[in-house]
Amino acid sequence: MKISRVIAIARKNFRSLRHDRRTAAFIFVVPLMMMLIFGYTFGGDVKNISVVIVNLDEGFMNESFSWSIISELNDSETFKIVDIYTSEDISIDPVNKSIERVRNAEIWAAIIFEENFTSDAIMNIGSLRQGQPFVPSGFTLYLDRTNPNVGAAVTGELTKDLQLLLILKYHLTPPVILETEMIYGEDTKFIDFFAPGIMGLAGLLVTFMLTIVTFVRERSSFTLERLLTTPVTEGEIVAGYALSFGILALAQSTVILLTGILLFNIQIVGSVLLALLIIYLLGVGSMGMGLMLSSIAKNELQAVQFVPIVFIPSILLAGIFWPLEAIPELLRPVSYFIPLTYAVDGCRSVMVRGWGIEEVWIQVTVLILFALVMLLLSTYMLKRRK
Amino acid sequence: MMRRPSKKAKRYEPEDYAITIEKLRKEFDGLVAVNDFNLRIRKGVTYGLIGPNGSGKTTTIKMLMGLLRPTAGRATILGEAVPIKDKLPCIGYMPQDMAVYFDMSVHENLQLFSELYSVDKEIFEKREEELLKVVGLEERADSLVSQLSGGMRHRLSLACTLIHDPEILFLDEPTVGVDPELRVGFWGYFRKLKESGKTVVMTTHYMDEAMRCDVIGMMRAGRLIAQGSPKGLIEKSSTKNLEDAFLVFSRGVM
Ligand SMILES: Nc1ncnc2c1ncn2[C@@H]1O[C@H](COP(=O)(O)OP(=O)(O)O)[C@@H](O)[C@H]1O
Ligand SMILES: [Mg+2]
Repeated sequence: MKISRVIAIARKNFRSLRHDRRTAAFIFVVPLMMMLIFGYTFGGDVKNISVVIVNLDEGFMNESFSWSIISELNDSETFKIVDIYTSEDISIDPVNKSIERVRNAEIWAAIIFEENFTSDAIMNIGSLRQGQPFVPSGFTLYLDRTNPNVGAAVTGELTKDLQLLLILKYHLTPPVILETEMIYGEDTKFIDFFAPGIMGLAGLLVTFMLTIVTFVRERSSFTLERLLTTPVTEGEIVAGYALSFGILALAQSTVILLTGILLFNIQIVGSVLLALLIIYLLGVGSMGMGLMLSSIAKNELQAVQFVPIVFIPSILLAGIFWPLEAIPELLRPVSYFIPLTYAVDGCRSVMVRGWGIEEVWIQVTVLILFALVMLLLSTYMLKRRK
Repeated sequence: MMRRPSKKAKRYEPEDYAITIEKLRKEFDGLVAVNDFNLRIRKGVTYGLIGPNGSGKTTTIKMLMGLLRPTAGRATILGEAVPIKDKLPCIGYMPQDMAVYFDMSVHENLQLFSELYSVDKEIFEKREEELLKVVGLEERADSLVSQLSGGMRHRLSLACTLIHDPEILFLDEPTVGVDPELRVGFWGYFRKLKESGKTVVMTTHYMDEAMRCDVIGMMRAGRLIAQGSPKGLIEKSSTKNLEDAFLVFSRGVM
């Protein structure tokens, strides 16, 4: 492989784009529009949020408020209760264990009822009658608010259930204030959660579509054939494409990040470089996918038809708008086959949770494999054309 | 009248040949585009392939360039069997279609090809200037190709083929859409190429151009029906020009 030829191919792609203003605008304007439109309009119903409950409540007389709340939580569609620990599990230190699970992003929240939950609540009824707000003691919610919609749904549902309990038992309707410990995303706005998703989606789509457009043009104008009669090898062509479109994906992400910071005041907790690396890998992979699919295609129309086939599952199933838990169980395995899922999850964990490479190595590895496989496959497809 | 004893034809060694073709054949879904023919082109020769549309000229060249896989037979270029790899840097190929980048400038196109052939930067600058003059585009170096006329694009395509000063040239209809005045200039340049020992294989529709070749091969329906110097072919067919000669040889096959 000769680097100068790889660079020549990459430069050709940049030069073609430079003279094509409309396409250049597309690269930067489309993701910003997405951010504006979706960022402000997308609330989204969240369901099946996985939580763990630790119930150490000893109750009072024959009352146990915690169990009535848990049964409400059980009935609600908002939650999926992964585990309930009780005082019988005390040997495994259920509180810390649950907090750890939130920290590892296995679950979104840990709901802790302590020994005195019911008794304190009953003691407090008097003050509630005098119009004091209900601040349940012996109750803590540990929350991962990376996705503010999920956070709002958890607190909303818990508040509602507590109020319901007070109405039924005491005909009281005091305001309820929950003691909440934010594990992640203390100040997260929806746009913070959303920006990494847009970076990933834009990185995927723009490189994928531009590769298809460029390559189809290269085929129909016979320049591909001509390239293949020069000393440049198939591998060098693929590497040149990867270089140019990878850089493009990076430039685009940087613009998205900057506008996000300037216009929407998004917060980035973790390493920006790591987030950009993830986008770069995704960009290279989707370039390879575009190259491979457009060399499989018999004509331009067929090649363009691959765009929605990739676009639709990516936008719906990669966890851009809602967490994977909200995706119907039947379709969830599909999500794990979509590379964008890993890019978005990785980017988001870095930017909102502040995770480093030790925590997102799985996502990064999956993306490296995706990029490598696509590069090899597209080189093979180019060779086969001869 | 005394006949001069016929001189025994000089025997050529394999390394004297730039191109050899042995029973090369190409079928497209049953249609025979190139039909088992043998051909040898010596180094330094300007060789013209002529024949009506669809007679298999482009297909033959594409097989030599490794763009189409022969159905049968074999061919070599500078001793390397096709599809060649090592000798690619010595070859210049001008496709029949204008295969240049429309959304780049004339200069950028030339630069791209020079980089793909690893031409030195200084050498490239010199050659670019020279070639732009030959193809009459010296004023348009910075124009986008999409803003050029069809003929200009064709000329740019030729310049791209020549940018790395190749030993062997495959030119598929290089003078289509080139006005007569420039064609004269082209031929001046082709002569210079010949003088510096280059091998040129071209296809053409223009009989006056064919007359300027050292050797011509007449193709029809995928076969080589006659080969020789233009004068020799006219003599052999007892006609006055190549068009008539072609008709005579065609009849012989059918
Ligand atoms: N890719 C292809 N698929 C099918 N048929 C082809 C293809 N390329 C050329 N042909 C056919 O092969 C024959 C020879 O074509 P070609 O070599 O282009 O002729 P020429 O260059 O002499 O005009 C024609 O009948 C043409 O239709
Ligand atoms: Mg032709």
